[in-house]
Amino acid sequence: MNGEPIIQVRGLHKFYGRLHVLRGVNLDVRRGEVVVIIGRSGAGKSTFLRCLNYLEEPSAGTVVVDGIPLPSGERAARAWSQVRQVRMRVGMVFQEFNLFAHMTALENVIEGPLTVRGMPRDQAVALGERLLAKVGLLDKRDVHPARLSGGQKQRVAIARALAMEPRIMLFDEPTSALDPELIGEVLAVMRDLARDGMTMVVVTHEMGFAREAAHRVIFMDAGEFVEEGPPEQIFTAARDPRTRQFLTHVL
Amino acid sequence: MAHAGEAAAIEQAVSRRLAAFARAQQIRLALVWVGLAAALGWLFARFRFDYGFMVGWAAFLVRGVPITIGVSVVSITLALVLGLVAALGRLSGNPVAHGVATFYTSFIRGTPLLVQVYLIYLGLPQLGIVLDAIPSGVAALSINYGAYIAEIIRAGILSVGRGQVEAALSLGMTRTQVMRRIVLPQALRVVVPPVGNEFIAMLKDSALVSVMGVWELTFRATKVGRQYFRSLEMLVFAAAIYWGLTILFSTLQSRVEGRLARAYER
Repeated sequence: MNGEPIIQVRGLHKFYGRLHVLRGVNLDVRRGEVVVIIGRSGAGKSTFLRCLNYLEEPSAGTVVVDGIPLPSGERAARAWSQVRQVRMRVGMVFQEFNLFAHMTALENVIEGPLTVRGMPRDQAVALGERLLAKVGLLDKRDVHPARLSGGQKQRVAIARALAMEPRIMLFDEPTSALDPELIGEVLAVMRDLARDGMTMVVVTHEMGFAREAAHRVIFMDAGEFVEEGPPEQIFTAARDPRTRQFLTHVL
Repeated sequence: MAHAGEAAAIEQAVSRRLAAFARAQQIRLALVWVGLAAALGWLFARFRFDYGFMVGWAAFLVRGVPITIGVSVVSITLALVLGLVAALGRLSGNPVAHGVATFYTSFIRGTPLLVQVYLIYLGLPQLGIVLDAIPSGVAALSINYGAYIAEIIRAGILSVGRGQVEAALSLGMTRTQVMRRIVLPQALRVVVPPVGNEFIAMLKDSALVSVMGVWELTFRATKVGRQYFRSLEMLVFAAAIYWGLTILFSTLQSRVEGRLARAYER
């Protein structure tokens, strides 16, 4: 966990029309660090995360991922190749899974390697099977998403993101759409990833996961990072009254 | 154990009753069809058709079937290509592409197919472009149907969720790759049923190209009919063939739909 930060965000603003969703956010993430962002709905957590792989275009400020600057603000000529370079290095897991509905579990996982990386099919299949085994779903390799449970879908989605061999993984409320009894299996996969040293930025309402797996917890409110620190500090000795108020509601 | 046996017996009885009901419904349906067909037959019998004449010209008429089907298949294929291009144009941010696509669909959907047929048949030669009958017919049908299919494909593309696109983009795909690998294959399932309907409609709209002198079903029927003053016989005969073709292609269509739906079954 040393050297240059793998994610550098400076003065990030995002407007939706006149709505000011991100109000000057700064963040450095080191390699191998697990950062968990908490806060109530509408605080701007997901928007912030989506700016990191340019699913949202920042209105102002800079985002540099693995040394590659993302275009922002007034810059008219959009550097799409840079955007794609960043996206190939950053895996994303969505609240609603977004598995490709017309493909089996394995086809979902190998789609990135085949289409984006141009990997030969047999090599991609071997990689895909290894990743499905890693998330415990090799027996579902030929099943379409419609026949998978929510927890299984999310694990396939994680495998799909990992198939690009990303350096960073972004999780956008990965368990919020799951039935309570299915949350554990997804969090277990995420804990394994964290233990393996993956750099992760996680937006979640799972405080247990934040407490155990995070190196750093950030509390976000009204488009700003209000407070950040190691989990034990945030959860037991938060300084800001807004953080304390939020935590009394969720803990 | 006694309970389990009882439950199985009840389940069996219920499924037997359901099967019997389904069979009875099918028989009723068949009876209605037979009744209506008989009524139609009685109506035609009162037309005092010369059946010997119809049988005599049957082979001549049936030779139009491959032309009708051929023109329709080629035209629907070209219409799909045109429709896809027009749909992508309408969805693109490029004002030229958008303008061309909307102008095309507006003009074609705003004017009668018969007029468009004449525009190609009589208009193009004025410009020094003289096409054979069949290419002219194919051009008219595919340009016309392309405009309607563009709307179908556009709706199909829009039916694919934003999340699918975002997931594909976040893997690093280009917009073209997202369209080709993720959006269009999923749009296909939504697009096939209405395009099947368009094809079935086209089988019969292809009759309009008879005015260009394409030797398809209707052209042959009217030609013989006029010559021997037996137009109604030949047209009813042609209508029966069209109907048969429609039933055939509807069956094919529902098979294709069933195959496409398989990935989405729970």
